[in-house]
Amino acid sequence: MHPSEEICRQLSEQDLVRKSLEQMEYFSCLYDRYEAQLLRYVKRMGVLTDEEAEDVLQEAFLKIWKNLNAFDPALKLSSWLYRIVHNQAISCLRRKRSFGKDKKEAFDDKRFSDLPDEGPAGNPEAMEETGRHIHEILDELPLKYKEVLVLKFLENMSYEEISDVLKIPEGTVATRINRAKKAFREIAERHPENLVL
Amino acid sequence: MKPSEKLLQKIKEEQAEPAPRWHFAVKNKLLWAAFGLAAVLGALAFSVILFAIQQTDFSILSHLSHSGLELFLGLLPFFWIILLVVFLLIAMYSVQYSRRGYKFTLARLVGYSAALSILLGTLFFIGGGAQRLEQAFAVHVSIYESIQEKKVKLWSMPEAGYLSGEIAETGLDAFQLKDFQGKTWTVRYEGAFIPPVVLLERGEKVKLIGEIADDGAFAAAEVRPWGRMGNRKGEVGSRKRRD
Repeated sequence: MHPSEEICRQLSEQDLVRKSLEQMEYFSCLYDRYEAQLLRYVKRMGVLTDEEAEDVLQEAFLKIWKNLNAFDPALKLSSWLYRIVHNQAISCLRRKRSFGKDKKEAFDDKRFSDLPDEGPAGNPEAMEETGRHIHEILDELPLKYKEVLVLKFLENMSYEEISDVLKIPEGTVATRINRAKKAFREIAERHPENLVL
Repeated sequence: MKPSEKLLQKIKEEQAEPAPRWHFAVKNKLLWAAFGLAAVLGALAFSVILFAIQQTDFSILSHLSHSGLELFLGLLPFFWIILLVVFLLIAMYSVQYSRRGYKFTLARLVGYSAALSILLGTLFFIGGGAQRLEQAFAVHVSIYESIQEKKVKLWSMPEAGYLSGEIAETGLDAFQLKDFQGKTWTVRYEGAFIPPVVLLERGEKVKLIGEIADDGAFAAAEVRPWGRMGNRKGEVGSRKRRD
């Protein structure tokens, strides 16, 4: 029997993992708690359709379930979940690319609905337009730059969390973010008409 | 059906179970054990490199008239250097793939692994283990050319001015030397540079720099002890033998 939403809500991250190992049904609490956040991340990484994003998440959570005992309590649970979901999303993107299915598809404006309220504030159309251009620039960046920018500026993660997600040293995260920002700026300057920041 | 319910259904269908905790613990411990083993083996390799450096008289390069680089490369203990590099790489990758290993930068991984190997290797060398290990290798590995063999080869080129062997007979201005191939030479050493550690006694092993005087005779410009490099202190107190 599935635990109620109320019970799920009361459980801490550690308790959720422990309870899931004791009783599988509690694993659904884990899924429900992080579903929206991780789905949004998968889409920001470039998995475009809702269906594909949900498949990625399902596959990722199956892996999470199989590796639940590998969770290191020294880590934030969310960082660990992001790590597995990230790897699954990358595999999906690579698979798509190898099959030539990475053609630009219709932009899903939900991906950037949580952008900070800077720039053309108060103008939803302009914000949507800005979000679209940010997405286009991110897509032009090499993956290693895109992922750090998405994690830092769209997922609002700290360097330590990004380090735990991508399994790279914090110093490397900082360097990569700097380089990514520079690369982002260069692309934006090539198309100044596209971006009003 | 909610996605979370779909997930549970999928887990049940696949009969997927979480891998046991010990599985991950063992994997992590094995990686650290591999790091420890690689660091120790790297240390052994480093100790033999130290031994090789101690045994090799690199100052010979300054006496060379032909390709010094070629000889220098020939003097380097490549086998042990390659072993050291391989073990350092194994040590680095073992840590990197451990649970929190990704927190270390490549430079730190190289630094820690190398520092550990250097520290342990130096201790092993000081304890005399390097020489025993090298000799054991020379005895048991047929294709391995020992440091001693290399050294003999290098100091058995009388036509190039290098000769070595054991003093068989001593005289006033010359001594009889039996080289490592068994040939007997008459070595004249008037005016030769001879550090105090060289006693010129029967049975003493020496290496010589000089030139062939005539058949079976060698005019030495320097007489050095065979065992170790003549050190600077020794050279300060050196003497020249003259008539």
